[in-house]
Amino acid sequence: MRSRLAGWGLGGLALVAALGLPLVNSEKSVLTDAILVYLAAALALSWNIIGGFAGQVSLGHAAFFGMGSLVTRFLWLDGTPIAISLLAGAAMAGLAAFFLGYPGLRLKGIYFAIGTLALAEAIRITVGNVFPLVTRLPGEELRAYDLIARYYVFLAVVLVGVAVTVYLQHSRLGLGMMAAREDEDAARAIGTNVFFHKLTAFVLSAVIAGLAGGSFAFFHVSYYPSYTFSAVWTFDALIVVFVGGIGTLAGPILGALFFVLVRDVVAAKFVDTHLLIFGTLFVLVVLLFPGGLLEGWHRLWGWAKTRASSWRQEAGGQPAEGRPLG
Amino acid sequence: MLTVNSLQVAYGDIQVVWDVSFEVPERAIVTLLGPNGAGKSTTLRALMGLLPVKGGRATFAGRSLIGRSTHDIVQSGLVLIPESRATFSTLTILDNLYLGASTARARPHRDATLHQVFQIFPILKERQTQPAGTLSGGERQMLAIGKALMARPDLLMLDEPSLGLAPLVIERIFEVIEQIRQKGVSILLVEQNAQLALETAEYGYIINLGRIVREGPTADLMEDPLVKEAYLSF
Amino acid sequence: MDIVAQTIVSGILIGAVYGLAALGLSLAFGVLRVLNVAHGELIMVGGYATFFMFSLLGIDPFVSAVVVFALLMLMGLVLHWLLFAHIVRSNEASRIKNSLLIGFGLTLILHTAAVRLFSADNRTIFTAYSTLAWTVGSVRLPVVKLAGLAIAILAAVMLDLFQTRTTWGKALRATSEDWTIAALTGINVQRAYLVSFALAAGLAGLTGVLISVGFSINPSIGLQWTLKALIVVVLAGLGSVRGTLLAGILLGVAEAISSLHLGGEYREIVGLVIFLIFLSFRPQGLFGVAHA
Repeated sequence: MRSRLAGWGLGGLALVAALGLPLVNSEKSVLTDAILVYLAAALALSWNIIGGFAGQVSLGHAAFFGMGSLVTRFLWLDGTPIAISLLAGAAMAGLAAFFLGYPGLRLKGIYFAIGTLALAEAIRITVGNVFPLVTRLPGEELRAYDLIARYYVFLAVVLVGVAVTVYLQHSRLGLGMMAAREDEDAARAIGTNVFFHKLTAFVLSAVIAGLAGGSFAFFHVSYYPSYTFSAVWTFDALIVVFVGGIGTLAGPILGALFFVLVRDVVAAKFVDTHLLIFGTLFVLVVLLFPGGLLEGWHRLWGWAKTRASSWRQEAGGQPAEGRPLG
Repeated sequence: MLTVNSLQVAYGDIQVVWDVSFEVPERAIVTLLGPNGAGKSTTLRALMGLLPVKGGRATFAGRSLIGRSTHDIVQSGLVLIPESRATFSTLTILDNLYLGASTARARPHRDATLHQVFQIFPILKERQTQPAGTLSGGERQMLAIGKALMARPDLLMLDEPSLGLAPLVIERIFEVIEQIRQKGVSILLVEQNAQLALETAEYGYIINLGRIVREGPTADLMEDPLVKEAYLSF
Repeated sequence: MDIVAQTIVSGILIGAVYGLAALGLSLAFGVLRVLNVAHGELIMVGGYATFFMFSLLGIDPFVSAVVVFALLMLMGLVLHWLLFAHIVRSNEASRIKNSLLIGFGLTLILHTAAVRLFSADNRTIFTAYSTLAWTVGSVRLPVVKLAGLAIAILAAVMLDLFQTRTTWGKALRATSEDWTIAALTGINVQRAYLVSFALAAGLAGLTGVLISVGFSINPSIGLQWTLKALIVVVLAGLGSVRGTLLAGILLGVAEAISSLHLGGEYREIVGLVIFLIFLSFRPQGLFGVAHA
């Protein structure tokens, strides 16, 4: 109970800090860094829904990120208000997930993984062929560029991700997803509609990824439309989730913080070398710490607590538990 | 030869075998009887190193079985013929038999043993170039036994050899089992077909819900009222 | 008509390399039930090994092929011992998922290391005979790519002979069908895994040799070659060496023909679409052998 309250307390503090940041420090580099963390967090939180809660390793996540960004970008640059463009992008991503997931989720495990990878790649190539030109922010948008507004958009997306995650953690829907993840046959045997839960997870994760993509479209001045469909976005999401701690709320968020931090520090010297570090961490996580950094943290915390209590006992004249007298 | 003491086996959190103790002396046929789900197959698989042992002891030919790799156990002379899926359907009969002699113990005698196996089961010789998947149930069981013999076991464990087979085939197989014992191989027979098992073996153990509930010479067990009621009535 | 013939021939020539790329992946997946998504990165490493042996030591790539094969086999041994050996202890479902994740981590490591060590530039090996070509009618057959075809076929034949004629090969096939029966038969399953994985890596290295001579390499070719290999594996189905090579050639030809009609930019999509169709409707592939 205590750690629960502590968790909520910390979360509340973090929220206040996040909301107030631009008021305290509106420097471009600080806000941009925060935005990068929020982007990573949103990507991770969204992948966590299909990969963590529902346990289906999707390697096509970039397709929904890309779809959200594509739709949002074109609608917005065409004159649609950004809010509607963002929602439209997310909706399209969700719709795509529905129509792709309907047949796609019949595939199990690894077939689903490589199937989604192939699909996302096919979509990326097609988008690259259909929209080969760079998309640029027109002049008046550049002049009216408000970084703080974009900051809050990204924060909002993260909050949506957090809200959905919290909801899933405490609802029957989420429970159903996790049951399906653990043992599909057992879940079906107790009456859970496994397919429905998997599809819902897929759509939810796509919608949030689409929101993140739309925010990206809102944020960047110029980029190639096919860029947001690149597999690197999927890979980044996977790295953050696994290294942070899959299936949890704090994992993707802390993982995002860690990810961007390390990337910034390392990239100062060598571009992309952060991936070497994360690749190694990733492997270590899979082999040794399936719960990611969060698990490592809990283990450390647990070890520290037992040490502290045994010291306390010794100081009081009693031998620590489990050790012989004398 | 094989001594098992208070064996405990669990599938993850689900414990199936709680307290199993039995012994198979040299040149003996011992049977382990029990209903479905009693833990018979689980015990056998654990002894072969396919399942982790949660507690208890198991020794074969003076060495502990626990924690050893399966092929190492086969190398030391303990061989299991599992209940189903004992042969490679995509490989030929001959290849199945060849692979049976994979261990260092069996390899030098491969051709000699093969000759013996073909004598016991002529039909395997006839069909040796056919894929094992084309065999009937009874023939598949013969191949399984032949393959196990290729490993030159000192103790052969059979998990429900009569399952799904026609009476004539069962008869033949049990003849072979007796033949094998004559050659000096100990046999542990796990069966649901209690009548047959008690007639073939000298000593028996009854297992239920993961524990040994009765043991004794098979002659005695056949007269035991509990055994008669539970296993010998039709 | 000439263009069509040339296109088909080009398709066959590159298809053979696709098939070779798939052989290793298929072997590892069949025996270990492990999908090494870093297979493409191993191909890339093989390519660079060949390139540097040529540019630094002057060794002809077709000669260094044997060395590269052995080198990559060694690398496969190490990678298996370090990483994949630990995953094969888990049950089938976790095993595949974990192998996917480990392979993924491995791609990050290998790719980034390659960029750091070799720079991101494209490299190709130019030998004295690089521009030589046989001309049959109006079709041009580059000698280098013909040699590639020959090597791919040779590798497939040798692998097939290994699997059907040698005891070790049969043990691998047995482990591939059912590792439990294999273990009970007395086969050292861990060693079978090791050998398979090392062989698969060696085949990847060989593929890299062919690519470095006939095409070009850069640190980023890993993903696209893993995908190609994957497509061919699914197209062929597991269990048939001949089928895998043939499926690779089929893919090459399909890509080539479609690029005639749809244009080069959609070449990659053809393979991906075929892949998705087979994955959904015929996962056992064209030549798949029944598996336990």
